[in-house]
Amino acid sequence: MLGQVVISGLLAGALYAMVALGLGLIFGVMRVLNVSHGPLLMLGAYTTFWLFQWLGLNPYLSLLVTMPLLFLVGMALQRLFVRRVVDAPELSSLLLTFGVSIAIVNLAQLAFTADLRSVEYLTGSFVWGPFAFSKSRVIACAFAIVITTAAFLFLRKTRLGKAVRAVSQSREVAQVCGIDVGRIHMLAFGIGSALAAAGGSLVAVMVAIQPEMGQVYTFKSFLVIVLGGAGNYPGALLGGLLLGLIEQLSSLFLTTQVNEAVAYVLLVLVLLVRPTGLLKGRA
Amino acid sequence: MKRWLSSGFCVLLLGLALYPLAGTGYGIRFMLQLFMWIALAQSWNLISGLTGYVSFGHIVFFGMGAYTAAILIAKLGWPWLLASLAGGVGAIVLATVIGWPCLRLKGPYFAISMLGLNEVLRVAVSYFEGLTGGGSGLSLPSLYASVAIYYSMGIVALAVTALAYVVVTSRFGLRLMTIREDEIAAEAMGIDTFRYKLYAFLLSAVGPGIVGGLAARDQSYIEPVSVFPLIMTITMIVMVLFGGKGTIWGPVLGAVLLFTLQEMIWSRFIYVHQLLFGAIIVIVVLFMPRGILGVLQQKYNLPRTI
Repeated sequence: MLGQVVISGLLAGALYAMVALGLGLIFGVMRVLNVSHGPLLMLGAYTTFWLFQWLGLNPYLSLLVTMPLLFLVGMALQRLFVRRVVDAPELSSLLLTFGVSIAIVNLAQLAFTADLRSVEYLTGSFVWGPFAFSKSRVIACAFAIVITTAAFLFLRKTRLGKAVRAVSQSREVAQVCGIDVGRIHMLAFGIGSALAAAGGSLVAVMVAIQPEMGQVYTFKSFLVIVLGGAGNYPGALLGGLLLGLIEQLSSLFLTTQVNEAVAYVLLVLVLLVRPTGLLKGRA
Repeated sequence: MKRWLSSGFCVLLLGLALYPLAGTGYGIRFMLQLFMWIALAQSWNLISGLTGYVSFGHIVFFGMGAYTAAILIAKLGWPWLLASLAGGVGAIVLATVIGWPCLRLKGPYFAISMLGLNEVLRVAVSYFEGLTGGGSGLSLPSLYASVAIYYSMGIVALAVTALAYVVVTSRFGLRLMTIREDEIAAEAMGIDTFRYKLYAFLLSAVGPGIVGGLAARDQSYIEPVSVFPLIMTITMIVMVLFGGKGTIWGPVLGAVLLFTLQEMIWSRFIYVHQLLFGAIIVIVVLFMPRGILGVLQQKYNLPRTI
């Protein structure tokens, strides 16, 4: 039983880690907490749903559409709105992305109605000895690992990735070194949104899709960043896995209804005891 | 100018005090809700407008007050006025529990914590069914007290506005605004930022708590969805931003304008409500960050207290 719970937790955690990495990247590079991160995930989930519904496209193949699409949406958001408040007090960027977030959710309600949708694909479970895991979760975890690894390789190995990290360490110094900070900001917002979109496509197969499904991911992603240490990218991985584990363990003892409350209590505790996160970040 | 304004204000107050003698049932309900929105917007302004710490879940104090008061009325038979004041106390207790860990850190932590808190309290209320009636809600014994609630709401709205006046014109308010402009500089000047943020937060929780209790009495029935709605927090934020954050009369102006518009026109466009609010937030933040009153103050060189 415990083994089942631990593995389920890690499966969910890999997905959290990927989505949170997107939020963390934007936060680290621009010091902007993108409150519309969850609603962008919701847009990814709907894109997957409609591609599946209309064209019968395999939900996992739809990643090839949703990620570039939301990459562009993210860049546009940065270019049109967020760019103007990057240097303003936090109040401005928080309120701005909050406004964008409620507008996106309302637009989704208008365009897609509030009906619950689901992608009927890959039901059933893998059975392995005493354990059973739903196929969609195992595959989602695999994709999350691949995409997260790719994002890390990009940040570690490529010149562009190094430029992103340089901007997140010190914008002024990066600028002096000849890095086009405005472009890096757009890139970071694009990648962050694409990671949210990937999360949306992967959860589309697992849960009901509706316009308000996203907000909880903004909260959970933020919790993951706090757990791992803000501005610390590997920390997001650790935080994601930890959140997945704790949620699953708590559902052993409590009803799943209070899952969210458990995550919340966790956030408050971490803020009290170790506000810099488990791996040291910037508070 | 100033004498004209203050005598005009006195006449307005007198008119509002006499209004229930002449007003229709609809008129009284309209004004009662307007008072409620003034109190809510003014309270949000105290924490977010003055210190710059955005509360994305301020309605949680409204809900807390509503449930505290409703439980006291329904289970213990308290008089509703006393129960509503107890709702304010309940809101302060909640604000202390949340403010203590979350206000030690910079803005985003507080903002997201408040966003989450609203969801959590809604779940918690549904979970403890014995006390709160769970998802099926809590009914109060029926009572026709619209006029009494009208006066109570009006007094709360006036009191919160007076509080805003006192805070903005005091050294305490200056400290809060210093925190908003540059928290590190504020600390360097010897301001105990955490303490003052916490004070501002507690002050901002009382009003919604009491108003929540009064609203629960007014509606005679509450359920988790109706007292913790995100849209009410959004409305408060839009009112303050539109009127002018960090000012004394901005939230009042925003509440009057938006609530009237909402009643007259927007109730017909309920489906695009949030879209409209989202657009207002984005436009105000980008192009008119000081709100209507801020623009007027700058243009006509008005004192900060108007």
